[in-house]
Amino acid sequence: MSDGKRTNLIDRTISRRQFLKYSVYSAAGVYVGVNGLAWAQGASGGEIVWMGHQEVAGLGPNDIGADVHAAVIFNVLNPLVHVNHVTETEMVLAREVEVAADGLTYTFHLHQDVRFHDGSEFTADDVKYTYEFYAQPGNTVASRFIGMREVEVVDRYTARVHMDSVNAAFLRVAGEVPIVPAAYHASVGDDGFRTAPIGTGAFTVASWRPAESTVLAAFPGHFRGAPLVDTLRLDVVPEPSVRTIALLTGDADGTVWPLSTEDNIDFMDDPDFRVVATNWNSPRHIPLNTRLPQLSDKRVRQAMMFALDRQRIVDDLESGFGTVATSHLAPHNPFYNPNVPLYPYDPERAKSLLDEAGWTVGSDGIRVKDGMRLSFTCTTISGDQTRRPMAELAQIFLREVGVEMQLAEAPVASILEGLRQGTLEASLFNWTMGSTTDPSPTSTLLSNGGDNFTGFANEEMDRLIQEGLNVVDPAARMPIYARTQELFAEEVPALLLHFNQGVLVFSNRMKGLPEVITSSTPLFYRGNEYSKG
Amino acid sequence: MTLPPNDPILAAPPTDAAPARANKTLRRFLANRMAVAGTVVVLLLVVLAVFAPWIAPHHPNDDIFRGMRGVGPSLEHPMGFDHLSRDLLSRVIYGTRIALTVGLLSTLISVLIGVVIGAVAGYFGGWIDEVLSLITDALMAFPLIALLIVLAAVIGPSLTTTVLVIGGTVWARYARVVRAEVMSLRERDYVTAARALGAFDGRIIWRHVVPNVLTSVIVLASLQVGSIIILESALSFLGLGVRPPTATWGGILSDGRAFILRYPHIAVFPGLMIVITVLAFNFIGDGLRDALDPHQKAGR
Amino acid sequence: MPSYLTFRILKGLFVVVLISVLTFIVMRLMPGDPVYLLLGDGQIPITDEQIAAIRAKWGLDRPLPEQYLVWAANLLRGDFGESLIRAGVPVRDMIFEAIPVTALLNVYALGLAILVALPMGIAAAVRRNTWVDYTTNIVSALGIATPNFWLALMLIVVFALQLRWLPPFGLRSWQGFILPVVVMATEEMAVLMRITRGAVLELLPQDFVRTARSKGLSERRVLYRHVVANALLPVVTVIGFRVAFILSGTIIVETVFALPGIGRLFVDSVLRLDYQVVQSLVVVFAVLVVFVNLITDFLYALVDPRIRIS
Repeated sequence: MSDGKRTNLIDRTISRRQFLKYSVYSAAGVYVGVNGLAWAQGASGGEIVWMGHQEVAGLGPNDIGADVHAAVIFNVLNPLVHVNHVTETEMVLAREVEVAADGLTYTFHLHQDVRFHDGSEFTADDVKYTYEFYAQPGNTVASRFIGMREVEVVDRYTARVHMDSVNAAFLRVAGEVPIVPAAYHASVGDDGFRTAPIGTGAFTVASWRPAESTVLAAFPGHFRGAPLVDTLRLDVVPEPSVRTIALLTGDADGTVWPLSTEDNIDFMDDPDFRVVATNWNSPRHIPLNTRLPQLSDKRVRQAMMFALDRQRIVDDLESGFGTVATSHLAPHNPFYNPNVPLYPYDPERAKSLLDEAGWTVGSDGIRVKDGMRLSFTCTTISGDQTRRPMAELAQIFLREVGVEMQLAEAPVASILEGLRQGTLEASLFNWTMGSTTDPSPTSTLLSNGGDNFTGFANEEMDRLIQEGLNVVDPAARMPIYARTQELFAEEVPALLLHFNQGVLVFSNRMKGLPEVITSSTPLFYRGNEYSKG
Repeated sequence: MTLPPNDPILAAPPTDAAPARANKTLRRFLANRMAVAGTVVVLLLVVLAVFAPWIAPHHPNDDIFRGMRGVGPSLEHPMGFDHLSRDLLSRVIYGTRIALTVGLLSTLISVLIGVVIGAVAGYFGGWIDEVLSLITDALMAFPLIALLIVLAAVIGPSLTTTVLVIGGTVWARYARVVRAEVMSLRERDYVTAARALGAFDGRIIWRHVVPNVLTSVIVLASLQVGSIIILESALSFLGLGVRPPTATWGGILSDGRAFILRYPHIAVFPGLMIVITVLAFNFIGDGLRDALDPHQKAGR
Repeated sequence: MPSYLTFRILKGLFVVVLISVLTFIVMRLMPGDPVYLLLGDGQIPITDEQIAAIRAKWGLDRPLPEQYLVWAANLLRGDFGESLIRAGVPVRDMIFEAIPVTALLNVYALGLAILVALPMGIAAAVRRNTWVDYTTNIVSALGIATPNFWLALMLIVVFALQLRWLPPFGLRSWQGFILPVVVMATEEMAVLMRITRGAVLELLPQDFVRTARSKGLSERRVLYRHVVANALLPVVTVIGFRVAFILSGTIIVETVFALPGIGRLFVDSVLRLDYQVVQSLVVVFAVLVVFVNLITDFLYALVDPRIRIS
């Protein structure tokens, strides 16, 4: 399960008009520069090893949702464009993109003479096939194509996407879906493709043992030039301590999934390693089921915010790698609104709010009202060693003011279903609040939103969301989302904890890592640029 | 195929008068220094568990020392702090409660079920044996861990769930061992003799069969207490243990594994407690077996 | 004899069917829906239409008895179905790829355990209440008492990190087997040692041993010929039911050492509600356990002729 994509929205700072004209630098120039550097260091051959924490369940476009999968897939398959390590939209198979002023057509000019691993040529037909296939509802990536009507093949190297409705996130979200060769995919079907993919990427799949390791072999015919190493391997190592040890012993060169925060600190002082810290877009938070009688009063929820010493959670459990959240959007988000009600740590304030709401301290120290205890259960993910301690600390803080938060653990599939159906009372994760693609909280805060885990129903919020969707100009959208954030802070449908930093460690044995990094996951999409020193 | 090659010439059944026998057993047990040491340790653990609130220097869950995450042992905090800056010693002391409850109760439940089912199956044989063996086989072939995961998901993990699930599922091994022993005992002459004299089945099982299989059961059970304490830690490893913030040795240990490189003491101290406890129960088990077994000659 | 065998096999089959039904029910009792896992993490909104389409694709929208019968019928034809979560890979491939890993680990570990435990257990019984006995006792208690994930991590720290002798994870070379096998053998060894000691102790004072002694057989001969042979009886039982613990026993070792065995496959599949994999795995496993039980019973009869097979 991915933990929120570590991409942010740099081009939110540019105006809508500029965005529409946004025609991006050609990939070729960028890559020649980087490759030239690596060659100059005289490195070639060898093997790069990365580690993930979970099995790589499939290798097709439907599997790109989880980071560990993406790290493998994007070295085998290429998308038209992707959001790169400096959070800019980078051209990959597309040379240039034109976005119509009304946002209803996207014209992709493609690189010519690009070959798939089987030798066939990549053309606009493959784009049409891929987009139209994966937009069908049976696919997990289908919702990325929301608003798309069809893809027109203008000529062999030009594809034009026609939209039924504006989807501001289309380029970033759909553009990231990697292109499959139409003929091969049609002959083996998607399930076949997921196990034996053929793409335009710098590597081919040499062996795939999902729970153990996936080995990729260099594809010399790659359109951006042959990769610098012979093989790229992703090992599955569930235990964070073992990942740390493997980095230290040289059994691996990088980790796709974080280590424990304490281990990161040790690597920071080690000249043989590079520690990459990037801001995450989605806050760690505790969604509260606001339908429950004991959680339906917003004063109770506000009181809980005052009761939490969130800086302490950041200091103790993230080793300081994080910022207390004031909004569900991250401070680096262009739509971020700092002028919202704040909740400094103030247990006295929390107590008086609870008193005001009619909850009085009972005999066991837990507050009661009309015979009901102020108690609920927070269900964290089974075996989640990073976030469960946060729930444990929150539990202690809440208890101080007379709120009982019991803890339970359950598998992700149970949590997701329980939240969607309103049978869970609370949880702790950072997937839903704080979008990577659009400031609109359509799925999470709209009263009938598909991921409205909190059962939040607020007329003004519904109205603002509808309004925001109909406005195209970012400047005009700004005040709308400033207000949604204010509303969120006032209503507290979820207890916001903090925005953590994603910290990843790379061994300096692996050469060619970019200097400036603002988003770490896309680093793994550039396997063709790295060499082994 | 009925007679073993070295079948004894009419082994005399144990016929000592009961009080004298109990006395002798006790004396034999007390003569075993290791067993006595084990008993003392277990008694100490019981005291620790019962009087935890008075013995523990701090509250196991609520007393948090800001900025002391993972800080190692010192004079005031002999076991250091855990990953949430709580006093580890206090948590380990409170953990004794859970360890003993889970270990002893689960073992008791499983021994009771296992011995009854095994003895009945082995003694009566026939269709009773078939049905009971079928249940035992099915249970043994059904992965315990699956049952635990599912029950934890359906009922929600808690102390009661843990005790009942472990106790209710691990009895199969007792049943099998007891059944096998009873099957071979059934053919012994004193049992046959008792039967011929018209003794009532339940009485034969209780008087002659059960005492004879007890040695094996005790060996198993003395191991079991430890295994169950370990199983509890394995459940915590999988996120299915007793709910936090309740302090359990297994829970502390499994939380500590993420910090094994930086704060090794978090995992060491509860691990040490588990080792000591298991050792103590094993010595008691050995002592009991030696003392109970009337055939045994001391000092061999 | 043949009718007994047939009967036992039929009984075994019945156990397997019983277990498969139980597993099916138990898995569906788990709250949650695997479809949500397929649909990712909530970053990208999902639609009801998508959920329905995916449920239909996997037949999850059918009535439960029908789902069971379809699955069971396919299983009888040797078709284990496809994994919901893992790219529609045939479940049979997943299981039979994972089995050798776990099987090898267990065979090596058991072998090592027997090699160490039998001599030590016998020595402890014969030299009862001496330092040999006490040492064995403590070693065995330590073996049982040390939680295996802790031992595993400590061994990795020492042998992979500090000494750099062995790899920290994986089975890329034969060295990769060493640490996981040692961890697993430690536990097995501890149990076997105690069982052996107990069994020998129980036999030593028995009359047939006395008889053998009185016949003037040498102490060593008595020991090996009679005592050890008879002590194997409970040992065989214990080994037999260790098999039932393979699945749960290797989960932790496989997780820590990142080994792709059935223990990890099983837990991952349960947690991800990958119904087909769990159901098939449990059935394969049940067949194995039933088979081993059968073998154990025959070995029993072989070792202890007092038990009649009738």
